Amino acid sequence: MKKLRQVATVKRHVLVVDDEVVNREILGNILSANYEVEYADNAKEALAALSKQDRRYALILLDLLMPVMDGFEFLKNRETSETLKRIPVIVMTSEKESEVRSLRLGAADFIAKPFDMPEVVLARCERIIELFEDQAIIRQTERDHISGLYNKDYFFEYIRQIELWSTDIPRDAIVFDIEQFHLVNEFCGREFGDRLLAEIGDAVEKELAPMNAIACRADADTFYIFATHQENYDNLQNLLQGIITDFFEVNHIRVRFGLWENVDRNVEIEAWFDRAKAACDKNRGDFTQSFARYNNDLHSRYMFEETLIRDLQSAIDNRNLVVYYQPKYNIEGDTPRLTSAEALIRWVHPTLGFINPGDFIPLFEGNGLIQKVDNFVWNEVAKQIRKWKDEFGITVPVSVNVSRIDILDPELEAKLMRLLNDNGLSPEEYMLEVTESAYCENMERLIEVIENLRKKGFRIEMDDFGAGYSSLNMITTLPIDILKIDMSFVRNMEKDERNLKLVELVAGIAKFLKIPAVAEGVETESQLNTLKNMGCQIIQGYYFSKPVPPKDFVPFIQKELERRRGA
Amino acid sequence: MITIEKLNAFGADTAEGLGRCFGNEALYLKLVATIPSESNFKKLKNALGAGNLDDAFLAAHALKGVLGNLSLTPLYTKVVEITDLLRNKTNTNYSALLSDILNKQEELAALCND
Repeated sequence: MKKLRQVATVKRHVLVVDDEVVNREILGNILSANYEVEYADNAKEALAALSKQDRRYALILLDLLMPVMDGFEFLKNRETSETLKRIPVIVMTSEKESEVRSLRLGAADFIAKPFDMPEVVLARCERIIELFEDQAIIRQTERDHISGLYNKDYFFEYIRQIELWSTDIPRDAIVFDIEQFHLVNEFCGREFGDRLLAEIGDAVEKELAPMNAIACRADADTFYIFATHQENYDNLQNLLQGIITDFFEVNHIRVRFGLWENVDRNVEIEAWFDRAKAACDKNRGDFTQSFARYNNDLHSRYMFEETLIRDLQSAIDNRNLVVYYQPKYNIEGDTPRLTSAEALIRWVHPTLGFINPGDFIPLFEGNGLIQKVDNFVWNEVAKQIRKWKDEFGITVPVSVNVSRIDILDPELEAKLMRLLNDNGLSPEEYMLEVTESAYCENMERLIEVIENLRKKGFRIEMDDFGAGYSSLNMITTLPIDILKIDMSFVRNMEKDERNLKLVELVAGIAKFLKIPAVAEGVETESQLNTLKNMGCQIIQGYYFSKPVPPKDFVPFIQKELERRRGA
Repeated sequence: MITIEKLNAFGADTAEGLGRCFGNEALYLKLVATIPSESNFKKLKNALGAGNLDDAFLAAHALKGVLGNLSLTPLYTKVVEITDLLRNKTNTNYSALLSDILNKQEELAALCND
């Protein structure tokens, strides 16, 4: 079947350059079957025709020996012009030596004189035109337009091609990124950030030939390099660090490198860079070394994470993922009252045992799989609220986590509403937790989404407040119903005055906003009393209960019912 | 007027020549009819007369391309021969070969004018 672009409604223009009428007419007769043919008597005329802006040529057929200006002269001229270089040239010659010489001068192919049968001539022309158009398409799409380096798809495909022919040459996978780059975009604007990425792209591009390497911008500020193995990358490191330092005129923003030396050919190409990236990611905050090598420790970690990624779906299907509930108590007044609960995910892996949420939640947040986990939890929770409501006649509102990626999901609101409808619940019975750091990225979008959810009746808790980068000014404009104080502050407030002050500050902010403050991680009575004195209304933590499976939560509900009856 | 039969009798490979013209007989014959007055024959003769082998080569080379494309074999083979000699600037007497070529040209001219 013909490709879309081969079925042209307008014939492509072809320029035949030959001083002999007979040759021109024979060729014209052949080519006019498929093309609009134009003629030039010699190379000078051809250059004049090609300089016209209103005409685009798909191919030039060039005789070599001509009066006034010959074909070789034309080819030399063409070499210096970017526009002309995009038009392929087929040379027509009967001289063997001329074939080689003209191919070296950039001719795409040659047609021998006397001409072959018309079908052959046409096929060769067609093939060259297609080849050049393919090349033009690749040229337009292979590059990332910000950095000027390859884009990720092209980069991987390129490696696949190289690897077909040179698997015995040791090569390295290098990944580098710029620490805290998201803040650059945040504070200085995307345009400023892009300028930096372009400068880095330029610098890397210049280093590629001596390194015998290729490079791409894989994502945001993350770059991949595939290089022939070398002992160290000090030059590259110094060069890039220099650019960053000059650009920001400060020296604490660091380029971090991850390196997997002598990549293992038994592993997929993408995984070479996943591993180099794992090394790069683990290289956070350690200023003593900016080059981290992928090693055995990282390898075990990497394999562990790969297992989690692989097993997530079966964990959902086989109910190895379970939702635990931690009660939240209102401590205003003399007797604490059960107000709600927080849903927390637990994973009991059939072979690895209990998996720490700290191992899989950040991992899935990073690769987007968290959405699967979130959706699972939302469903389970809605069913559980319904179940308790049927059994005990009261609603225990449960808060669930809404990850950054969920916020970007245009289906979010519809998904949640469907869930509530299916379980006969109203949005007031369901609470959504959004972490503070999610507020910092893409704030306008987030505010819009949250405001819509609130209009529907959902209550929004801002989680981990104090751990992110919120400015005080921002807080007043945020649509939130409850502020959750970051657990680490509560845990350390009795040991460290600074943490205590922070908890006070957050409680004060909540008061100012006239919304309740929730303290998480409360373990002791003295912590509880301190928080109560600060005006913190809601407490969650081991002091009341650890997170428990639904059946162990029932006594809390029963106790609350007794309390209400007593009251 | 020139015809395919006459060209066959002349020794041309008309099947090949016609094939190159996509079977367009009118075009083929029209192009063959331009050969007797092809200026490169005269250029070749004059250049050889003046001992200018470079110009003679250019003329012969141009003729070679045209005659080959029209498959005018008896003329073409002679022109290929002289082109090869001229390319190497072979020091030889070209007059016999030249007159062979010019005779064949005249022969073709006669067929065209007949």
